[in-house]
Amino acid sequence: MGSTPAVAISRLSKYFPLITLRRLLTGKWRQGVWALREVNFELYPGEVLFILGPNGSGKTTLIKLIATLLAPTSGRILVHGLDAARSPLPVKQRLGYITCNEASFYGRLSGWQNLAFFARLHNLDPETAIPPVVESLRLTEYLDRRFFTYSTGIKRRMDIARGLLHQPDILLLDEPTTNLDPLSAAEVRQLLAQMQTQGKTMIIVTHRLEEVQKLGGRLGVMKEGVFREIHPKPGESLEDLYHRAVRAGGHAVS
Amino acid sequence: MRFRKVAAFFVRDLLWDLSYPLSFFWRGSSILFNLVTFYFLGHLVAGSGSAAGYLSAYGGGNYFPFVLVGLALGAFQGVALTSISSAIQYGMYTGTLEAMLVTPTSLTTIVFSSVLYQFVSALLTILLYVVFGATLFGFSVAKTDFLSAAVMLALSLLAHLPMGIFSASFLLIFKRGDPITSLIGSFSALLGGVYFPVSVLPGWLQSVSFFLPFTHALEGLRQAVLNGRSLLELGTQVVILGLFAVILLPISLAVFTYAIHQAKRLGTLSQF
Repeated sequence: MGSTPAVAISRLSKYFPLITLRRLLTGKWRQGVWALREVNFELYPGEVLFILGPNGSGKTTLIKLIATLLAPTSGRILVHGLDAARSPLPVKQRLGYITCNEASFYGRLSGWQNLAFFARLHNLDPETAIPPVVESLRLTEYLDRRFFTYSTGIKRRMDIARGLLHQPDILLLDEPTTNLDPLSAAEVRQLLAQMQTQGKTMIIVTHRLEEVQKLGGRLGVMKEGVFREIHPKPGESLEDLYHRAVRAGGHAVS
Repeated sequence: MRFRKVAAFFVRDLLWDLSYPLSFFWRGSSILFNLVTFYFLGHLVAGSGSAAGYLSAYGGGNYFPFVLVGLALGAFQGVALTSISSAIQYGMYTGTLEAMLVTPTSLTTIVFSSVLYQFVSALLTILLYVVFGATLFGFSVAKTDFLSAAVMLALSLLAHLPMGIFSASFLLIFKRGDPITSLIGSFSALLGGVYFPVSVLPGWLQSVSFFLPFTHALEGLRQAVLNGRSLLELGTQVVILGLFAVILLPISLAVFTYAIHQAKRLGTLSQF
């Protein structure tokens, strides 16, 4: 295990003030929601961390904070020792954020045109950046078709391709198999396993315990903004452990 | 490097537009229908003696050339006011903004590059107004001082862009309900002189219209196109529009930077 963590989160908190005209007028504008409370963990190169938890527990907020899409209220995020808040550009070059949102592409443009656009935003030459990625994801044959003609499974693979264009060593995935049929979900899991063997560090938000079982990795549970890593004992059911962790919230689970 | 990114946005929007070939046709058609309507309205106005008096300062008192310049600049102003906020709104709504923000590209580059194609498209709209007007309705550019007209367009853009940036800043934080665009747009259409000379308005409304950059941009453009006025002769308009730009642009950019910071704090960049 390397000495510098790929991702180090320390005392990370996120508060969302809820600003509305009514709250401003009634002086209640300070009331808001704590989406994350004092989250701490370190993830070393090549490790995979699954984050599970009920809806609204702060999983996506955590991913977006690491991806520099949100500013933390307090605490620090270090990516290979670089502070994400102070050096967002080099941090973004190390991260691949896979949004798992098919609408985040331009439907009227072809797959190639979409990937070429995002490649240029990464300061890459599309002619050299796109082919190796789409070949490894078996997408070459679809590139000339318009994005809106793709099935959800192909769209998800295009999303993964976009996140891999700049060859990041850390991947952030927000529910990568949601809305996919069992076959497409299995394909995505296979791709994730492929990336795992390539030594990518991954943080995967998921609701599916079978993903954890099939891929293997560390497991964290979030509830009401509190993150807790859980360690199943040999022979212990992951499902039981998860349910106990969710019920216990921020308290330790043994 | 930044130029390549800006070019990528331009190509993206061009490809998007080209994917709807009929939209070009309909855009041209709507301009044509607009012009036909005002051409016949011009015939009606021509019969009114008082109208000729009001219009005498604009190339001989003919209503059609007067309104054509107003319509063309109105379309251009609309883009300056709305393009930035609509680019942000679309990006927030679809999630493309998030996908762009995780690349090493600043929000400022994303937003301003996203509107470049729309400005080029707005210039083409102006050209279509002129071409249709000249070929079908006898609109003449024989007297036009093209340098003055180009400077007026550029100054009009610089004076209106801050309103668009304010509007986008509002949207970044509150997501919807931007009051700036609709207020400025409505006031400009009503008081800026698109359909009738500002001199028709009562004195107090003329005073209000003085504070709209559109009033001065349109007056300057009409004088350049219809009367062939040089830049020296349009000094008043140049100075007023320049002041709007010099004062409001830095303020709007500072507000926009603050809005980006707030949006990241509030999480509104990735919500809609």
